Amino acid sequence: MNNQSFCQCNTESLAMASVPMQEWCEPYDLGTALYHGTLFPCLNYMFFQAEDIPCPFCDKPTSTKSSEQEKALHELCKISFAITDLTLYLDTHPDCQNGINMMKDLLQKRLDALADYAAKYHPLTQLSIVTGTPESSEYEWEMGPLPWDPFGSEGGLL
Amino acid sequence: MWAYEKRLAYPVNIKKTCPKTAQLIISQYGGPDGELSASMRYLAQRYTMPVKKVGGLLTDIGTEEINHMEIICAMVYQLTKNLSPEQAKTAGFDAYYIDHTAGLWPQAAAGVPFTALELQSKGDVFADLYEDLAAEQKARTVYDNLLRVIEDPDVRAPLKFLRAREIVHFQRFGEALEMTKDRLNHNNYYYFNPEFDKTMIHK
Repeated sequence: MNNQSFCQCNTESLAMASVPMQEWCEPYDLGTALYHGTLFPCLNYMFFQAEDIPCPFCDKPTSTKSSEQEKALHELCKISFAITDLTLYLDTHPDCQNGINMMKDLLQKRLDALADYAAKYHPLTQLSIVTGTPESSEYEWEMGPLPWDPFGSEGGLL
Repeated sequence: MWAYEKRLAYPVNIKKTCPKTAQLIISQYGGPDGELSASMRYLAQRYTMPVKKVGGLLTDIGTEEINHMEIICAMVYQLTKNLSPEQAKTAGFDAYYIDHTAGLWPQAAAGVPFTALELQSKGDVFADLYEDLAAEQKARTVYDNLLRVIEDPDVRAPLKFLRAREIVHFQRFGEALEMTKDRLNHNNYYYFNPEFDKTMIHK
C-alpha cells in the first residue's frame, strides 16, 4: 500500500537519531481533522489539559447559530486544512497511492468550493473572481470582511 | 512566490476582550519559539538543503507557519480590539499599550522584541534538521503552557489546533532526517557536509 522504496530507513547508528516513517492510517473525517489538527489518528497525541475543548466543526455542531456563510467558510477551511496536512505527508511519502488519490479528490473539492463561495459571497482567492462569477464585470477583491475580523464586524472601519 | 487567500487557516472568532490573554499569546507571534521565527527558520534553511525533497518540505512547513502567525495575530487583535482605556491601564497590558496601543508588534510574552537570533540557519543538514525538531518541541511546550492557563474556549480551540501541528511537523522533520540519512553513508554521517563539500557527494 505504502511504497517507500526510496527509503531504507531502518539502519540505526550511534550518534544519530531515528524517527520511524509514518504508515498510512485511515484519515479522520475533515471536520474532526481540523479540530484535532491532523488528518491522521495515528499522529493525534492529545494533551490532558486540552481534552475538554468542544469541536466547532464536527458533524454535530455545538452552536446552531452559525450562518450559512460561516458554514461554507468552515467547509473550505476543512478541505484546505486536509490539503495542507496531506501536502506534508506526500512530501515524505511521494509514492503513497492512498495519499495521492485523496489529494487529487481534495484539490478538485477545493477548486469547486472556492468558486462556489465566490459566487455566493465574495472571492477568497483572485482566481475565484473568474471561476466563481465569470459573467460579472466587477473586480471583487475588496469584497467581504478581512480575515482577522469575524463576520459583520466591519462597522468600526473608515 | 506566495499568493494570499482571504481567510484564516483555522477560524478565529473570539467574543470576549481579554488583554491579559493577548499579552501571553503574543509570544507565539514574536517570541523565541513563535510562528514568525519558525517560518523564517525553515524558509531560510531550505535554499541549501542537499536533498530536494527536504527543501520542498521546508518550503511547505515554512508556508504553513506563516498562516499560523496570521492565526495568532488575529487572536491578539480580537482579544484587544475593543480595549477600554480602563482595561488598558489595569488588565496586565499597560506596558505593551504604552508602546504599541492595540497595534500588533512581534514580541515575546515578557516584552523581548522578535530577533533573528532566535533562529539558526547553519548550512549543515543535520544541524538544521535537529534545530527544526527542537523548535517544534519548544513551540509545543509553549502551547501546552498556554492551554494550562487560558480558559476561554474560543481561544483554546485554535491553540489546541496549533499545538497538534507542532507534533505533526516534528514527525515530518524526523522523516526528512531519515530521507537524508538514506542518501549518505551510514558508516559515518559526519564524514563531510553535503551542503558545502559538494565534490564529496557522488564519491
